[in-house]
Amino acid sequence: MKRLALLCALLAANAFAVASAADWKMDPTGSRLEFAATFEKAPAPGVFKEFDARLRFDPDKPGSGALDVTIDVASADMSSADVNAAIRGPEWFDFAKFPRAEFHATEIRRVGADRYLARGKLSLKGATQAVEVPFKWTPSADGATMEGEFVVKRGAFGIGTGEWSATDVIGADVNVKFLVRLRKGR
Amino acid sequence: MAALILAQIALGLAAANWHLSPTKLTLFFWHKSTGMLILALALLRLLWRLANPTPVLPAGTSAWERAAARASHAFLYCAMIALPVTGWIVNSAANVPLKIFHLVPLPAIVAPDKATENLAALAHFWIFTLFAALLALHAGAALRHHVVKRNDVLTRMLFASPGRE
Repeated sequence: MKRLALLCALLAANAFAVASAADWKMDPTGSRLEFAATFEKAPAPGVFKEFDARLRFDPDKPGSGALDVTIDVASADMSSADVNAAIRGPEWFDFAKFPRAEFHATEIRRVGADRYLARGKLSLKGATQAVEVPFKWTPSADGATMEGEFVVKRGAFGIGTGEWSATDVIGADVNVKFLVRLRKGR
Repeated sequence: MAALILAQIALGLAAANWHLSPTKLTLFFWHKSTGMLILALALLRLLWRLANPTPVLPAGTSAWERAAARASHAFLYCAMIALPVTGWIVNSAANVPLKIFHLVPLPAIVAPDKATENLAALAHFWIFTLFAALLALHAGAALRHHVVKRNDVLTRMLFASPGRE
């Protein structure tokens, strides 16, 4: 009985220790994950409607943080029926074979007053690449907001294969932009 | 302008028939850019035509010839405007981004909608078909003026000298 009490105390202490590093859950309302490719030098914007982010983060001790994002790739919407029909195919995102993308970062550091940089790995369409995600952290009354943008090379993930790997018509760079609303909680 | 229109027809036919590839998109990009240029030039031309006296037809042109010339010219003007406009509707309804000649972003004139896109594409095709037929007639009639009737209509078309009787 005594040992059980001790175990409970230890577990509670442990839980408290993890919670103090602040766990954050995404509030899908108001959170956005957008991307912009280019077509003949004009921006071709799109959005992933379904995604989720989990974060362990203390703005004053970012070193102990971690960020995990899962993206439902098949929720990609480029607001054109023709384009949406094209990107689901094997030459582009290949929804059938690779419906999910993930980003995991275990290295977060401060780079400015409210600016941070998460270094991690992005797995998309069967390829995993190191990606640096800069973000701005804004605490609010009921949680916090992280937002930022970065560029990925579509070729590194085989997005656009065969003839489509040429970058003069559809550009090599894809700008990814996110705004994530977070609430404290497990 | 005639050269632009002929190039535009070639671009449009090539783009429509090419298999889906970057080349097809590039052909469409130039077709759309050229189309917007033609629309601007056609509107200027129409204003010019309304502001200036119409070139006088040679004496001895019969009534049916005058009517045919009038009708076909009216249709050619309509098509020079309707073809780019229906193309613009197709592009807007398909919600495809476009920067004309990589320079000017083209605003959408209708909301994205597949039915609108299909309808406008059908109109674009049929106006084009009539336009191509009228263009052949227009060129044939000009040649007839030059070769058969031996007057200066074709020379006037190629080297404008307005005001000459």
